[in-house]
Amino acid sequence: MNKTYGIIAAFDTTPEIYQACEKVRDAGYTQWDALTPFPVHGLDYAMGLRRSKVPRFSLAGGITGFTVGMGFIAWLGLSEYPLVVGGKPMFSPMFAFPVSYELTILFTAFATIGGMFFLNRLPMHYHPVMKAPQFVRAMDDRFYIVIETNDPKFNATATRDLLVKIGGKDIAELEA
Amino acid sequence: MSAPASTASLANKFLGAGLAGLALTAVGLFVSDPHGVALSYLIGISYWCAIAIGMLLLIIIHHLTDSGWSTVIRRQYEHGVSAFTWLAVLFVPLLLSAWLKPGFIWPWMDLAHPLHGGHGTVGQDVLYVKKAGFLNQGMFTGMTIGFFVIWIGLSALFRKASFTQDRDGDPKWTSLSRRTAAAGVVLTALSLTFASIYWMKSLEYHWFSTMYGVWFFANCVRGALAFAVFITVWLYARGDYKGIYNTNQFHTLVALAFAFVVFWAYVTFSQYFLIWNANVPEETFWYNIREHGDWLWVGMLLLFGHFFVPFLAWLVYRWKAERRPAFIISAWVAVIILVDICYNVLPALKDAHDEPLPFLSINLLWVLTSVVGVGGICVWSYLRSLATTKLIPIRDPRIVESLTHHEAAAPEPGQVVEGAH
Repeated sequence: MNKTYGIIAAFDTTPEIYQACEKVRDAGYTQWDALTPFPVHGLDYAMGLRRSKVPRFSLAGGITGFTVGMGFIAWLGLSEYPLVVGGKPMFSPMFAFPVSYELTILFTAFATIGGMFFLNRLPMHYHPVMKAPQFVRAMDDRFYIVIETNDPKFNATATRDLLVKIGGKDIAELEA
Repeated sequence: MSAPASTASLANKFLGAGLAGLALTAVGLFVSDPHGVALSYLIGISYWCAIAIGMLLLIIIHHLTDSGWSTVIRRQYEHGVSAFTWLAVLFVPLLLSAWLKPGFIWPWMDLAHPLHGGHGTVGQDVLYVKKAGFLNQGMFTGMTIGFFVIWIGLSALFRKASFTQDRDGDPKWTSLSRRTAAAGVVLTALSLTFASIYWMKSLEYHWFSTMYGVWFFANCVRGALAFAVFITVWLYARGDYKGIYNTNQFHTLVALAFAFVVFWAYVTFSQYFLIWNANVPEETFWYNIREHGDWLWVGMLLLFGHFFVPFLAWLVYRWKAERRPAFIISAWVAVIILVDICYNVLPALKDAHDEPLPFLSINLLWVLTSVVGVGGICVWSYLRSLATTKLIPIRDPRIVESLTHHEAAAPEPGQVVEGAH
């Protein structure tokens, strides 16, 4: 048999998966995930997830966009191609503002999408859970927890026992 | 969940402070420059009208968008708008001055009022004559009465629907309020725009800006949201909101305030930018006089204090979701809105050389007494209303959705009505 990726367990309702996640979290696991057919509000808290790091990418993108806008217009007007338009100064943050503002938004959007892809390691064309036949129901009406073997606390028997204890059904090992 | 604990003694303290502030303002008329005191009183009225209008708008927006999350907070706005009746009463002295002493506050009311620089009088000013159909005492009085009729009327309709639903639980009140809101949004938008034009912009009637009403609207909603933060934090600290109000609702409320920080900056900058770019003397003079003396620094304070400080601070999630930082930033916003209104009103006071009188002057004292005076009455009105109803609209069809905003462990509809948490 190939190397094992992890253990998957099924749950039938949102309260069950919510409470199961709290117990997996409290047991100290870090390398695991919950699969649900729709977003379950508060599940990130039950899983002990911290707030997303995507906003840091957004902020960096925004600052870059604003600086690029202001900097580019200042460089163009002051040095590269000085041109008097409407009796205005060669450079003023006033007329550079609308463009810088738009670039702030544009670069923030790019950085947000890019940061989200980067942090989620997307695009991901293969994931071991896709090999489990029962996984299709994670897109329909069932909820799953997958605990990975590379979790420091993973132990084939103890982890399986935990999943049984918290009410997991159809427990199976996943091929890597 | 019981009715809120008694606020009667607190209400009386605010009433006392309000009456003291009003009395001091009246004294100011005799011991200081009456023109400055009158404009300071106008600032006090406009500031509290802005907050009450903002609360009315938040009720309207809540109903129009059929919102869920804000149901739990809406009741506080319904108490807040009870202040309109008193604001109308407090506006009476200004209306009286328009008839008894025309030109005292708004120079265009006195056709014999001399223009600076020996350019004749208001009556000979072509820029007034063209606007005379709009800028005259009859229109001013009628429109101002109209504004208050609209605000008091809409507030009464929303309050009656919401409070009656507490008793009979009939969902028809919700759909009735939605229809009221549909008509009300147009009436409120128009009335707040014309109010800002008549009360504040017409102090310098040569000037015009199509953004003025939008600027006032932005301040109205920002003020109302700042006070919504104060009220919710206060109710939470008192214990009334324990188990009712959660982090998600608070975060959503402050996120809306954050959005309006950006909106205020957007409209205020557009007004400045279009006038700067077009560079037409009839428009630029308004900003030119605001670059004299210390007004330049007031403008800078607005740029950084009204936009950059709250904008950068509220980029941080924790400062939106936690009560203490959100409260401090909201308090700053509430103060800076007052400075913004001062920036729009006070430079109408000119010295003998047609230069605006400085910002740092005795007039700030009269602004303070007016804001405390009018505000004390408004807060008293809010607290008096608070004591008369349930803390939240317990039988609103969306109350469960609001109480469980973004929470997984949502209680069942039957459980929440009486102390489920």
